[in-house]
Amino acid sequence: MKGLKQIWRQYRLNRWFLFLLLVGLFALPLPQFVAPERKLVTNSLLFSFTQMFMLITLASNWNLTGGFTGYVDFGHAVFFGLGAYGTGILMNKLGWPFWPAMVVGGMISAVFAVLIGSATLRLKGPYFSISMLGTFVAMREIVRVSKPLTGGGEGLTLPPYLNRPLFYYITLILAILVVTLIWWIRRTEFGATLIAIREDEIGAEMRGINTTLNKITAFWIAAFLSGLVGGLWAYQNTFIDPDVVFFESRTVELVMMTMLGGLGTVAGPVIGAAVIYWLRDVVWASFFQYHLLVEGALLIIIVLFVPEGIMGALGDDSSTSLGRIMRRWFRESPKEGVA
Amino acid sequence: MDQFLQALINGVMLGGFYAVMVLGFSVIWGVMGVINLAHGELVMLGAYITWVLNKQFGWEPFAALVVVMPVMFVLGYILQRVLINRVVERPHLISLLVTFGLGIMLSNSVKLIYTADPRQTKTALSGFWRVGQITFPVTKTYILLAALIIMLLLYLFLQYTRTGKSIRAAAQNREAARIVGIEIHQVYAITFAICTALTGAAGMLISPTQAIFPFMGPPLTLKAFAITAMSGLGSIPGALMGGIVLGLVEVFIATYIPGIGTNLGIVSSFVLLVVVLVTRPQGLFGGLQPATEVR
Repeated sequence: MKGLKQIWRQYRLNRWFLFLLLVGLFALPLPQFVAPERKLVTNSLLFSFTQMFMLITLASNWNLTGGFTGYVDFGHAVFFGLGAYGTGILMNKLGWPFWPAMVVGGMISAVFAVLIGSATLRLKGPYFSISMLGTFVAMREIVRVSKPLTGGGEGLTLPPYLNRPLFYYITLILAILVVTLIWWIRRTEFGATLIAIREDEIGAEMRGINTTLNKITAFWIAAFLSGLVGGLWAYQNTFIDPDVVFFESRTVELVMMTMLGGLGTVAGPVIGAAVIYWLRDVVWASFFQYHLLVEGALLIIIVLFVPEGIMGALGDDSSTSLGRIMRRWFRESPKEGVA
Repeated sequence: MDQFLQALINGVMLGGFYAVMVLGFSVIWGVMGVINLAHGELVMLGAYITWVLNKQFGWEPFAALVVVMPVMFVLGYILQRVLINRVVERPHLISLLVTFGLGIMLSNSVKLIYTADPRQTKTALSGFWRVGQITFPVTKTYILLAALIIMLLLYLFLQYTRTGKSIRAAAQNREAARIVGIEIHQVYAITFAICTALTGAAGMLISPTQAIFPFMGPPLTLKAFAITAMSGLGSIPGALMGGIVLGLVEVFIATYIPGIGTNLGIVSSFVLLVVVLVTRPQGLFGGLQPATEVR
């Protein structure tokens, strides 16, 4: 009998599988163009996919600092928010077109990441995590207070532009680019440096690695990409205010998705984001008022029982509960090759 | 000058509340090594219990302490046994995430039961005392007094009782405490329960002067973290000093920078935190593990 693990190993790098998946995703909105009246693919389905691609991108960005470098960032949504507000202010107050506004929004995030990162990235462990949480909450208050620029609590309106298939393709392509970029980073020396920092920062420093520079680089790349997603989100939503943009659970969600998929793996955030997004969209959309309650419980369950995530359980022999259960079920021989 | 003195008094009064709020967080971190991100939500729970007693049974908020502290004690004991015990000796990330999840669950449960509307308790101890040009708000004076009494009691408990001594022993050296026969998990459970009771008391203290709502927690947690990181883990005088420093900073910003109000309180505490951690990683008053060397 073949174990689930072998099946996974056989197929995970199978180019045909990936190719078919991507072709399927690219072809999904086509019925809208061929036969719009048949409503085979509804706008709301495309919208759901768009949200999922955004979450995949955000979780992958988070994974760059949180997973690879080992700096668990509890305030990553601040970069999303800055991107959204950068785009919103440029479009609403200065009348810029969307594309340059989005890119500048991303750059604002990146610059802020360099500034704040050069202070907070010197702190370790929980001190870093909570400083970033503080950055996030503080930024929300600053945005709320600086009324002339951001509209304060009343928010900003962006020129509406409702074209679901277009947003679908933009977010899909962005997600593919980001995941590919992170896969590539993992294989470069830079990626290896980040892992080295996570495993043994002092050791890495002894080897002559400029850890601060590398950490800040990873930080601003992730911030730039999240800023782009923020801009896209703002344009798609056509309205931003401090509470929807700096939404507290968004920052936890990213951690939760990445943990469920597997911290520090390339595929982990993708799988985790997809699983949690559909769970939320399908399973408990009808119990909307309980959704955060369930989310908190789920976070606790994931952290306590599957801390290495789905990828960890499927990958090398892990010490997670899920991994143990799987091994017992499939009676596999432990450890062959590298995962 | 009067404005300055007034701000000084208000700052010290706010600081007294912060000090008692931070104690539970600080002792849990010091003894168990768990950074309790659900701390603000525990404050919120204490405030809501007070509000229910005040609104439905007409209790005086300060008298509600008699109910709030035992209830929160039991809750803390159960939470520790069921949840926190599983994460005590694991990496910081695990306990951070678990307590964060707990916080989300608590705030949303309260929201489901009592909606997100802001509430406030009414106390008979209101009004002002005037000394020259300076006013002393009566409620806040009593809050400061209650805070000082609670801190003194905790200090005496930790210093002189057998349980208090075993808590301090567990904080100093977990293994050695085990060797001399201290039931470490029992000590942790008692510590967590006491700290939760203190935190609930802080919730009572905040309820007459500020609006309480289910999502008031995270800023309080952040302030507790900032004060603890500045003043040292589990230190009662440190908590008092740190609380008063933060209270003064907030009040002076609100007094002397017009048009901002206390909204930026969280910003000031955060800026204070980062500046202190980056420039003086051992904390303002020493006694803390350097922030840049903790893993």
